[in-house]
Amino acid sequence: MVSEAPICELKGVQKFFDRGGGNLLRVLEDINLDIRPNEVLCLIGPSGCGKSTILRIFAGLIEASKGEVRYHGNRLEGLNPGVSIVFQGFALYPWMTVEENVRTVLRAKGLAEDEVRSRADRAITLVGLEGFEEAYPRELSGGMKQRVGMARALSVDPEILFMDEPFSQVDALTAEGLRAEILDIWVDAERNPSSILMVSHDIKEVAYMADRIVVLSANPGRVRTIVENPLPRPRDTRSAEFLRLVDQLHDIITSAELPDVEITAPEPSLLSDMAEPLPSAQSGDILGLLEFLETQGGTCDLFQVVSHTHVPFELVLASVKSAEMLEFVDTPKRSVIFTALGQRFVRAGMEERKQIWKEQLLKLKLFRVVTDLLDMHEGQLSREELISELHHRLPMEDPERTFETLVAWGRFGELFAYREERGVLTPE
Amino acid sequence: MIHRFLDTVWGQANALFLPFKRRRWVDLLVLVAGAAILYGLVMMGRQWTGVHRPLVEIDLSPWALPKYTFFSMMRGLVAYVISLGFTLVYAFWAAKDRRAEKLLIPLLDILQSIPVLGFMPGLVLALVAIFPHSNLGLELAAVLMIFTGQAWNMTFSLYHSLKSVPLDMQESATVYGFNWWQRFKWVELPFGTTGLVWNSMMSMAGGWFFLMITEAFKLGDKDFRLPGLGSYMSVAVEQGNVPAMAYAILAMVAMIVFLDQVLWRPVVVWAQRFRVEETAQGEAPRSWLLKLFRRSRLIRWLEARRVHRKTTVHPQPPKPGGGPAASLRLRGGRWLANAGLLALLALAAWSAVSLVAFLRPIPGARWWDLAKAGGLTLSRVLISTLLGTLWAVPAGLAIGLSPRLSKVLQPVVQVAASFPAPMLFPVVIGILATFGVGLNYGCIVLMLLGTQWYILFNVIAGAMAIPGDLREAATSFRLSRWHRMKALYLPSIFPYLVTGWVTAAGGAWNASIVAEYAEYKGHTLTTWGLGSTVSAAAYHRDLPLLAAGVILMSSLVVTFNRLVWKPCYQLAATRYSLTK
Repeated sequence: MVSEAPICELKGVQKFFDRGGGNLLRVLEDINLDIRPNEVLCLIGPSGCGKSTILRIFAGLIEASKGEVRYHGNRLEGLNPGVSIVFQGFALYPWMTVEENVRTVLRAKGLAEDEVRSRADRAITLVGLEGFEEAYPRELSGGMKQRVGMARALSVDPEILFMDEPFSQVDALTAEGLRAEILDIWVDAERNPSSILMVSHDIKEVAYMADRIVVLSANPGRVRTIVENPLPRPRDTRSAEFLRLVDQLHDIITSAELPDVEITAPEPSLLSDMAEPLPSAQSGDILGLLEFLETQGGTCDLFQVVSHTHVPFELVLASVKSAEMLEFVDTPKRSVIFTALGQRFVRAGMEERKQIWKEQLLKLKLFRVVTDLLDMHEGQLSREELISELHHRLPMEDPERTFETLVAWGRFGELFAYREERGVLTPE
Repeated sequence: MIHRFLDTVWGQANALFLPFKRRRWVDLLVLVAGAAILYGLVMMGRQWTGVHRPLVEIDLSPWALPKYTFFSMMRGLVAYVISLGFTLVYAFWAAKDRRAEKLLIPLLDILQSIPVLGFMPGLVLALVAIFPHSNLGLELAAVLMIFTGQAWNMTFSLYHSLKSVPLDMQESATVYGFNWWQRFKWVELPFGTTGLVWNSMMSMAGGWFFLMITEAFKLGDKDFRLPGLGSYMSVAVEQGNVPAMAYAILAMVAMIVFLDQVLWRPVVVWAQRFRVEETAQGEAPRSWLLKLFRRSRLIRWLEARRVHRKTTVHPQPPKPGGGPAASLRLRGGRWLANAGLLALLALAAWSAVSLVAFLRPIPGARWWDLAKAGGLTLSRVLISTLLGTLWAVPAGLAIGLSPRLSKVLQPVVQVAASFPAPMLFPVVIGILATFGVGLNYGCIVLMLLGTQWYILFNVIAGAMAIPGDLREAATSFRLSRWHRMKALYLPSIFPYLVTGWVTAAGGAWNASIVAEYAEYKGHTLTTWGLGSTVSAAAYHRDLPLLAAGVILMSSLVVTFNRLVWKPCYQLAATRYSLTK
């Protein structure tokens, strides 16, 4: 199976986005990936790792800045002919019925009308939508909408089915069913879809679906490792092997995001200019995490936080990272433990909390930079100016997102005030 | 009765008509309506190609009114069809061609701000000169005037829709290999339909204003009137025939209601399916006519035929994306777009140069006079907007906040907003004269007559859109009436109010041309201002002065838009937006 020639390959692909004014945001760095026949390949990683961008480069929707995309060994120019996509937000046309939504894409292929009808009927039956042919998308629940998305994607008989976080806007129970169904369709298919490429942020989903799991790390997006999943199908999500795989994946992702030891210390000469990137967590998220930790006796396994609070993994990770930056928690291995300061913070009243928060912020390079800039500009720092400074200091980060986090943290610590209409930061 | 009639005409045994047997009266209605439209079109064709007479003969009998109303309505509809065509081409071009966009959109912005009435004399003279022996020139002038009142906001609406098609819809169209035409008809046009329909209704309403004026147009001793409601009204006013004036006003109202019921209602209901937001809305609009039509077997039969014909068309062979044929066609389109852009640029440059030459004879002192007149008219425009706001905000809030009132009064306001105010000018001038108010202040009232409805209309819409939880919060905190106004009502209607102001002020500028220089009982009343200067220049065929006046007015409007309304919009979109 593995020895067969890949359907699609990325070779040394890089991607930059022009953020205007010659500012380049590096999204992907040196990606080498292949999609083989008869496999389910999943991409997983924290936000900002470019997983959706990789999917779009494979599909030919976005062009790679460097490197090449191959389809059956030939260099791909323009759209990938063997691909159809199931979108995260469904991307159904609200003015067409279920049936028309499916037929339309077949008509676009220039098929004869009776062929269009029979293929649409077949696809609709395949995903269990009979009886809903005449319904408009707005009448359907999220799960049913995604079925339409699946029928539409399958109707064109794609060699590879792409799915971009297909179940993230579907309720948990329905998603469970849809995952099993799509795998059944894939297993039963005589020829197409030969393979599935899925982007996901749900570790269990990935362990359930994938033959190979590509773990990406962020800023810029890189392939951290590829995990083979040898578990036989259908998979039992309660079996010990399955849970072990989930744990293993957790460990890989966390060790990338919360390293126990600094992997590389930056060169001293660079140090003066560099700043720590801010994880995109709001002050409320961090507070919530600390309060939760308090209820757990001051220590908790990272994944228990996820399963107890039902907060998405990415957000928990970002909150933990933030709390660690502010020296409220420690993260030996996968546990999250209060520091003495964190304990004091959580038990303090609002006044004292803000005081501690402010002191901790001022230990961070980025906030010292902002206060210095505020002094320099006589208490009037414009958004544009700060964003260009952020871009300079954190070239790998999305400066606008960093700005938002920075403002949220700074406002909570009463370090500075910000008026959105005027776009100006002022000291509190 | 009708059933028996149908049976004798069509015969019982005719199997072809079996499907029609039930609800035949609906089909009969459809057939009768079709025949009536056909007859009207033939009549109109005769009028259009008819020999131009130096004096229009208007029959003031009420029995002649249906004919005149039909003529007026058809002018409006023809203009609408042209506007729609223009909108589709212009908006698509601007949205798809990055380079053209940079020219087309500012141009549209300027076109939208120009008080088009200033161009009417020139347009009428030019078109009559081109078609000296038939009515075609005058008819075209009328249609073009209405077009200029309709097209711009429709085009803006479609352009904005085309630019804001959600990314995933675009991506799926790309992945599934839609070509540009499929993308347009399946994705982009449906996405823009809701906005386009609402703007079409607004445009149509605005168009009547210009229609009434062009139909009743006289230039010096020359009579350029066209048979229609506008001329009927003007002749009635000339002769002081009060019953005829009332008939004309009634006919206008009837036409507006008729179009609303027969054209816009069904279209609005049909456009429901193009709504993009997923949430179910409170009360879906309904249309009795559309329901009737959907019941008609005849129409269903026609539709089935259409589908049938479609299926028998030979399938196109599947073409590989980006083949040589496609790229050739693409290059052809590119070439066409470039040529069009070049022609437009050349036209703009040429008109700028000739304009400068044209305006040279006007001395500097004259410009100063014009500027002073402009200031005066500007203040009148602002006062009329202010007066409109003062009464329309409380009234609109009262109507919009009460579901009972808004249900009853909103259609009334809609009709009032569509009603062309110039029809009422003679009546109002008469009333003002009895109170001894001259045109100096009176013309503010005339401006107000047409523009206040835009403000009211928008305030009602804004009040209805105030979220229920905000109102409940205000009630539960026992906010006093004044506090509620300050903290909730005024901020939340502000974005709507700005839209109302912009439309009202634009309308007031246009109205100034006819309000500061009004015909009443055979003689002209006039008061000093930019509007009357433009009108007088047209009357005396002082073309350089006319051009100068129109240009000054346009630049005043554009400057005012940039300096005042744009920041207001900015504020409305950020601070007072309820959606973010």
